[in-house]
Amino acid sequence: MEATPALGGASQAQLILKQQERAQRVFSVQVVISWAILLAVLVFIFSGVRIQIGPIDVQTIQLDSDFINRAAPVISQGALQTLVISAASILCASVLALLTALGRLSHIAPIYALSTFYVSLIRGTPLLLQIFFFFLALPRLGIILSGTVAGVTALSLNYGAYMSEIFRAGIQSVGKGQREAALALGMTQSQMMRRIVLPQALRVVVPPTGNEFIAMLKDSSLASTTGFVRELMWLGQNLGRREFRSLEALIVIALWYWGMTIVFSALQSRLERRTARGER
Amino acid sequence: MPIIQVTGLEKHFGPLHVLKDVSLSVEPREVVCIIGRSGSGKSTLLRCINFLEQPTQGRIEVDELVVNVDQHRLTDKQRLVIRHIRLRTGMVFQEFNLFPHLNVIENLIEAPMVVKEMKREAAIPLAEKYLAKVGLTHKRDEYPARLSGGQKQRVAIARALTMQPEVMLFDEPTSALDPELIGEVLDVMKELARDGTTMLVVTHEMAFAREVADRVVYMDEGQIVEVGPPEQIFATPHDPRTRQFLERILRTAPSGD
Repeated sequence: MEATPALGGASQAQLILKQQERAQRVFSVQVVISWAILLAVLVFIFSGVRIQIGPIDVQTIQLDSDFINRAAPVISQGALQTLVISAASILCASVLALLTALGRLSHIAPIYALSTFYVSLIRGTPLLLQIFFFFLALPRLGIILSGTVAGVTALSLNYGAYMSEIFRAGIQSVGKGQREAALALGMTQSQMMRRIVLPQALRVVVPPTGNEFIAMLKDSSLASTTGFVRELMWLGQNLGRREFRSLEALIVIALWYWGMTIVFSALQSRLERRTARGER
Repeated sequence: MPIIQVTGLEKHFGPLHVLKDVSLSVEPREVVCIIGRSGSGKSTLLRCINFLEQPTQGRIEVDELVVNVDQHRLTDKQRLVIRHIRLRTGMVFQEFNLFPHLNVIENLIEAPMVVKEMKREAAIPLAEKYLAKVGLTHKRDEYPARLSGGQKQRVAIARALTMQPEVMLFDEPTSALDPELIGEVLDVMKELARDGTTMLVVTHEMAFAREVADRVVYMDEGQIVEVGPPEQIFATPHDPRTRQFLERILRTAPSGD
């Protein structure tokens, strides 16, 4: 710090605060500029421009813009399907995760065993296998699921198992004192859970569940492997292969996934701020 | 007819013998203060009365509701009795334990609505009455995070009172507070005592015990060593352990009331 004349304690603190704020602003601006440069590089790689400077001769990738213009609207229809699959799956997964977490915390042996068995089985096998299982194995038992239902079922079970740990951590994050206060006021175990513990656990659980949803958006593409789910990945790939324009199709698909991820990340951080109400 | 009657209470935590054949009774409108070193079992005794801690053995009677604990697991019928005991005892914790996701008024009406199935319109005036009693009407819509420690504890007292219990249990209500905030909580408790609220208070505040208690209980190593009116306990303790404890605590923390 420069030789500041005798400043009062408060103004000194304000000065430091201002400096910190300025440094923070400069940093943010630099991040935005760097992002713009990286984006420009990415666009440039696919611009089809040829650059010759002396011995350097670079040909960037040429995309078939005609195909993109035709295919993009068709592929985009898959985005809605992707959203529907992901939303349905995250809902079912959350319910499963809550039940499993409660089971993990249960003192009743068979219930505890059931939830640990489920988590172990699901975490011990690949998601892709689980999707195939519901699509291909169940018909042997006379249960025929559509590709979409098989996909949603597998995604729900898979994410439910992983998310149960999130829910368990959320429930356990609510202190013993909260439970004791509820019980001392005469609440039953289930009243205590519903009214005091779960609402507080929810606050802890929402941000990571948002993350899981964003991961789910992308994992839902695995449902396309059954060949009967008209989501983003399936529609795009099919169209691309038919016209030998897979690269263009994949780029359109990628932009959709990326765009949706950015939008939902922003929504998630807003939700996070709202649920933090009353936080210490 | 005592409102609380504890008989032959035993509590083990694994190998630790925390309460040894403790018997104690509290009469209606009486204020009883339990003092003693940390680890003497005084908080455990309090927590056994509303079964936040399950006694190993003994008999607990609150307002004619009786639970006899032996080595066996509690029966469903006993659990129901325990819940009724909890409805008749209000508990105030060292760490306040306000519900952080609810604002002040919601903290107060939660249990009346959920447990007593009281209508919101009926619960709110009741809650407001007790909020006024602890002098925090202006904090009605604040969240606990925005209250000072002393305010939190006063809200916690109001929350317990809103259930209209027969007896209030205080578990070191000022031990987690900054020294300058202790007074406001003790003032509220003194006013409750003046109104004739039956109170059982575990405390380190000797000046409070001396001023407010009808009887003082001194505990040491899981046993009740001495019970008597505060004048006698503080001036002429019979037991050498009580004398030693008081000498030490009064020397380190002069009672300035």
